[in-house]
Formats: sequence, structure tokens, C-alpha cells
Amino acid sequence: MPARKTLKSMCEDFNKIVADPVRQLKRLKSGRTIKVIGWLPTDVPEELIHAAGALPIGIVALNSPAVACSAPHLQEWSCSLMRCALGMALDGALDLLNGLIIPLICDTTRMVTGIWKQTKPFVFMDNFLLPRQIDRPSAKKYLIGEMGRLKARLEQFMDRTITASELCASIVLYNQNRSMMRKLFAMHNRRPDILGNRNVYNIIKASMLMPKELHTNMVAELLQLLEEKVGENKVGKYKYNVRLILSGKVWEPPVVMDVLDQAGIVSVGDDFCTGYRYIANDVSETGEPLTSLADRQFKRLPIAAFAGKSKDRINSLTDMVKKNRADGVLFVHLKFCENENFDYPMLRDGLSSAGIPNFRLETEVGTHSEELFAQVMAFAKVLGRGGVVNG
Amino acid sequence: MAESPSFKTDIIFKRLMAQYYDRGIAAREKGIPVAWVTAAFPVEIIYAAGLFPYYPENFGARVATKKAVERISAAAEARGYFSGLCAYARCAIGDVYSSEHPIGEILRPDLLFCSNAQCCSLQKWFEAAGRYYQAPFFLLDTPLIESTPTTWIKQYLVEQLYELLDFLEVYTGNSFDFDRLAEVISLSNEACRLWSEILDMAALKPAPFGFFDACFHMTPIVAWRGTEEAVYYYRELKNELEERLEKKIYVVPDEQYRLYFDHTPVWPRLRWFSDLFAKKKAVVVASQYTHSWVWRFDLDRPLESLVRNYTEGFINRGFEYRVQQIIEMMKEFNVNAFVLFSNRSCKPSALGLYDKYRIISQRTGLPGVIFEADMADERYFGEEDIIGRLDEFFSRLSREKRD
Repeated sequence: MPARKTLKSMCEDFNKIVADPVRQLKRLKSGRTIKVIGWLPTDVPEELIHAAGALPIGIVALNSPAVACSAPHLQEWSCSLMRCALGMALDGALDLLNGLIIPLICDTTRMVTGIWKQTKPFVFMDNFLLPRQIDRPSAKKYLIGEMGRLKARLEQFMDRTITASELCASIVLYNQNRSMMRKLFAMHNRRPDILGNRNVYNIIKASMLMPKELHTNMVAELLQLLEEKVGENKVGKYKYNVRLILSGKVWEPPVVMDVLDQAGIVSVGDDFCTGYRYIANDVSETGEPLTSLADRQFKRLPIAAFAGKSKDRINSLTDMVKKNRADGVLFVHLKFCENENFDYPMLRDGLSSAGIPNFRLETEVGTHSEELFAQVMAFAKVLGRGGVVNG
Repeated sequence: MAESPSFKTDIIFKRLMAQYYDRGIAAREKGIPVAWVTAAFPVEIIYAAGLFPYYPENFGARVATKKAVERISAAAEARGYFSGLCAYARCAIGDVYSSEHPIGEILRPDLLFCSNAQCCSLQKWFEAAGRYYQAPFFLLDTPLIESTPTTWIKQYLVEQLYELLDFLEVYTGNSFDFDRLAEVISLSNEACRLWSEILDMAALKPAPFGFFDACFHMTPIVAWRGTEEAVYYYRELKNELEERLEKKIYVVPDEQYRLYFDHTPVWPRLRWFSDLFAKKKAVVVASQYTHSWVWRFDLDRPLESLVRNYTEGFINRGFEYRVQQIIEMMKEFNVNAFVLFSNRSCKPSALGLYDKYRIISQRTGLPGVIFEADMADERYFGEEDIIGRLDEFFSRLSREKRD
């Protein structure tokens, strides 16, 4: 019987996956004939890719030096997330992918797709055209059609039919994974000192980079170990004095989470496409599966990309703060992300008028931790809780 | 160098422009709702519903032409709207918070209509404005059409127009008037036809009308499309151009080079570029930008036709379609070279421009130049760098002509 893994070694396994996406791709492809289809954030229905027999992989773990590779193609005043993703492709880091799906959620994703097709085309490339108004009946009907189109393209590429029962099975598999991660997140909420922000968010990100079955099993094993730790009543490396809701597109650069850990701040919820929002809700397991996938899309936590009831996002953040007894909101905004920047004054003013302290960090893929640490500590001080490092 | 005389039509333009703004103010006094609309929104429906359409993008361009963007934007930036956002949006938002109004105050909307065919910035800007003014916001969502529009995209768009009609009927309390829609569409068709014929005159060699003239004279096709005034204005302009042709008045008297320009102009430097090119004996004869409003509507299928025109043009198309259309225009207007403007305020036109440069060069064999700036905000205008690039470009053109 193999020796039982320690918490530290399990966290390290997840960390290795997100720290080196190229190595992870090689591992996934090694000795297997499986087709791997990448997707850019966010809201691509991975269940469809899985049901088609391919492995969906999020382009969410980034090699920051690759930003430079995109310089001849993308202006430096476009967001570093897309510059880095394209740069990684140009650098050969994504050569093992068999295809790529780009959801059009902003002007940069809308235009990067053309550049990508010119400079580093994959055999299979698809623009997933999500509806960006989500209030009116036409949006749902259209989205079901768009999902059907993506399904047909995947079937053609994979040379097989996706049956309803296969899609339902994929939905169940993804729901199990989300449910398992929600348990993990709830435990993190109660006892942040055991895993810390960086590990929890690494685990969420890792789920986008590996087979869901394997990820679910690893998280289940980890949860078992965590429950034992909770019982032991030992205190972890860092003492967490401040509870925050985080908001933005992605938690980049990853060092943001290290900085929060060091500052004694726990993220108790977020609307990141690569964070809690990814796992927050499930797809109905009954009914017509494409309709269920579309239903989930409209029930997800509101983000800047979709124009809906204008106050949904501020209401959603305020609710998260109340439900999680958070002390405030930290915005983690990528420089040059127009969607977030347009929402920011409304969110800032809405939170402030509700008496919720908030602060905006502007980051880029590759921002250094020292710059972030000073700003985060200043915010922690404003909250009056200090943010004491206990490590 | 002899400068071509001003257009007589400029006087009509100024008079009609003043009347248009007066009508906007009067509309509110008469209880006619003021509707903000984007440049590629089917405004014909807004007119037919009896609303007064107002174009905040045009407001941004006018602030830019007055070289006042930095001052007005500062008020928006102080509120947390960053300088990386579209300058038109910063102007409209800044005007609300600014104590100075160099072109007058922006007209407050009672409701807002936006199509995201042009860009996502408009969607976010109008959404933010809707919140500020506490006015209803309707988004016509236009998925990108890369090659052939799919059936469900077409259905989605037509369904949204029916949702728009419902929205308007509830708001106004009146049944939608399809007869009035037909009248407005007829007027749009006529204005678009005249505008197209005017732009086509730039294909003549030497050209009596060029891109910079078109930038000055385009407000009616953008903002008055669907009215008698737009039709009248372009009839007058076309007559004047025909007169100028008879008198042999051209944009550049000794025209040597014919250029394609992509995309919008640098508004606060319209004259600067026009003079610089004229000095080099170059005339810009075509741009996708000014051709954006060359539409032709089918009165037998009005809603389907509005959808087709407003969503299947280049603004809502992918990379390859845009490049191919540029190349076709370059052939049609018989150009010698091309100028690409990487515009910080317009990601859909700027992102991909460096690859477009490479592809257009390869496919046409023609020389080109690319420069970085902002269509409205002069803080991003590196004059020395741009002059250097253009000098080098014209030297290349001159060498190639000699060889």
C-alpha cells in the first residue's frame, strides 16, 4: 500500500500543474492519443468538449516572459492576459494542443482570434459567440443554438457524434468536481490557515488543466486530510485577520494570492473567472442538456462582459460580502481591461455607499510582488485590522 | 502650393448642425424623448418611434476637433475612468463632471440604444451612462460574423429588433408605425446612395474629394440619416462636387500619390494630416471608416434588411474579411500605397493592424506605413515619431516612383 501523502506534498502536486503548463501538457499527451482542446477564459462549456472525447484545457496558467513574444502582433496597451496567451502560442508552449476555442467577450478576444489564425493556427479553432445581453428571451434561444453549433463543430473535428447520454455524463462529472471544490472552498472559508489562499486558488486553476475525474479524486483525498487537520486544532503558518471578497477577471499574477497570505487576508469569495465563480453553480442534470448548459450560463455570477440588469454586479458583490462576513472588497484589475475599468467606478461607489471598504489593485501578468504587497498592506491598515504576518 | 477653396456647402453644414442641436434641446421641451444611439444602430426604428436620436460618439469627435479632450477627460479620469478607455467615452463621461463645456453640454438621454457591432466599449459606456442618468438601456447584441452569417445569428438579430419594438411600444405607449419606418428607410437609402456616389468621386484621378473632406462632411450620414436634411445636404454637396469637377478643382492640384487610410482620422490633427499629405502631393482617396455608412435597405423586408446592413458590414467582421475588403478598396480607388493608424481608442480597428500591414503588403506589393496615436487624445500623439515615419514612407514612395 503506498504511503499516505501529506498535505504539503498534495498541495505541491497542484502547484506543479499550474506552475508549468507546458510540462502539464506534455504529461497529458505522453503515450496517449487523446486530443487536447484549449480554451481562453471564460465561459466556454467544457462539458461539450469532454463529451466529444477530447480533453478541455484552460489557457489560465501563464508563462509571463511569453508576453514579449506577442509584441510584434499585439500593442502593449492591450491586456497582458491575451498578450501572454498569444505569446505562449508563438513561443511553442501550446504546440501540443489540437485545437483552441476563443470566447468573444471583449474587443481584445474578438480581435486576437484573427491574429492567432494568421500567426499560429490550430487545426481546430472556434470563436464561441456568447450572447452579451442576458436579460431578454432572445439570448437564451440564441445561446442554445450557438452551443449546438459548437457541438456540431466538435463532432466534425472528433469524427463522432455526441449523444445526449454522453453529454449528461459529462455534466454529472463536472458537477461532481464543482461540488467537491465548493466543499474545499467552504473549508478554506472556515479555516484559511490550513491551506491558505494560494493553494486553494491553485487547486481551482488546476481543475482547468487536468482530467476532471483525477482532479475530483485528488481533491476528495485532500479534503479527507483537511478534516483531520481541522480536528487537530493546530494553527497554520499565517494568521488571517481580514476577510475579503475579491473581484476582477482573473487572479493574475498568481503572486497576488501569496501577498494576501503574507498580509493575513483571506479571500472568502470572488467573481474571478478562474476562482470561485468557476465552481459556484452547477448544470441541471435533468432536462435537455444543451438547454441546461445555457441555463447555467445565465445563472452564473455576473461579470463585466455581459450587459444585464445594471445593478446585478454590485448586488452580487454586496451579497457575497454579507453572506461571508467579509470586511471589504479587493478589486484585482488587469491594466487595459476595458470591461472591468468601465464597471469600476460604479462598483467602488456602490460598495462605499453601502459602507463596504474597497480597494483597487491594478496588475499585469508578471507584476512583481513587492509592488502589490505595499498596496495590499496599506488597504489592510485602512480596514483597521493590521494584516499581521504570522510566519 | 495652391490650396483648394473651401466648400460652399460648409455654410449649409454649419446651419443644419446648429438646427440639429436646437432640435435636440427643443425636443425635451416638447416632451419628445431624447435617445442616445450608436453610429451603427438602426436609427430608422428610433425615428419611426417618434424619438429624437442623439449621437454621443459625434460629441466625442467634436470635443477632439476642438482639442479639448485632455481637459474634459481629466474630469472622467478623476472619477476612476482610466485614460486607457475609449476617448469618446471619456469625453461624454467627463462632460458630466466638468465645469467647462467647450462645445456645449452633452444632451442628457431619456433612454439609450446601443449596438455592440462596432465595439464592446460602446456597450460598457452606454451601460455606465444608463446607470448615471437612470435611463433605460437597450443593447442590440451582434455576434461577430466571421464568414457567412448563421441562421440563428440572423434569427437572434431579428428577434432582438422585435424586442426593441416591444420596448419602444411600452415606453411610448404607441403602436409601432411601420409606414413611418418605410418613409425613414427611404430617406436613409437616398442619403446613403448620395454619400456613396460622393465617396466614389475620389476614384477619379485627380480626385475632387478625399478622405479628409469626407471626415468633415460625414456628420449628416451618421447623425441625420433618415431625415430630409441629410438628403438635401448630400444633394447640395454632390452638385458642388460636380461643379468643382467642371472647374478642375481637386483635393491636391498636382496629385502624385493616392493613398488608402485605415481607419478613423486623428480628429484633433485632421488639418495637420491633410496639409502634410497635400505637401507631399498625396491624396487619401479611401478608407473603410467613411464607407461604413454606405448602406442599401430593402423596403420589402425592413427589419431583415436593417439587420443585414447594420450587422454584416466590415465593422462586425473578422480579420480576413476586413483585410480582403481593404484590398478590394485599394484596387477600386487605384491607390499607390496605404497608411494604417493604430488607434488606442479603437481596439477593433487597431488590434491585428501589424499583421494586416504584413498581409496587405504581401498581397498587393504596395508600400505602407503604420503609426501609433489616439483618434481624440493628443497625449498619445508623438508628433516627431509620426513625422519621421511619414517622411521615410514618402521617401520610399518617391524612390519607387523614380525606379
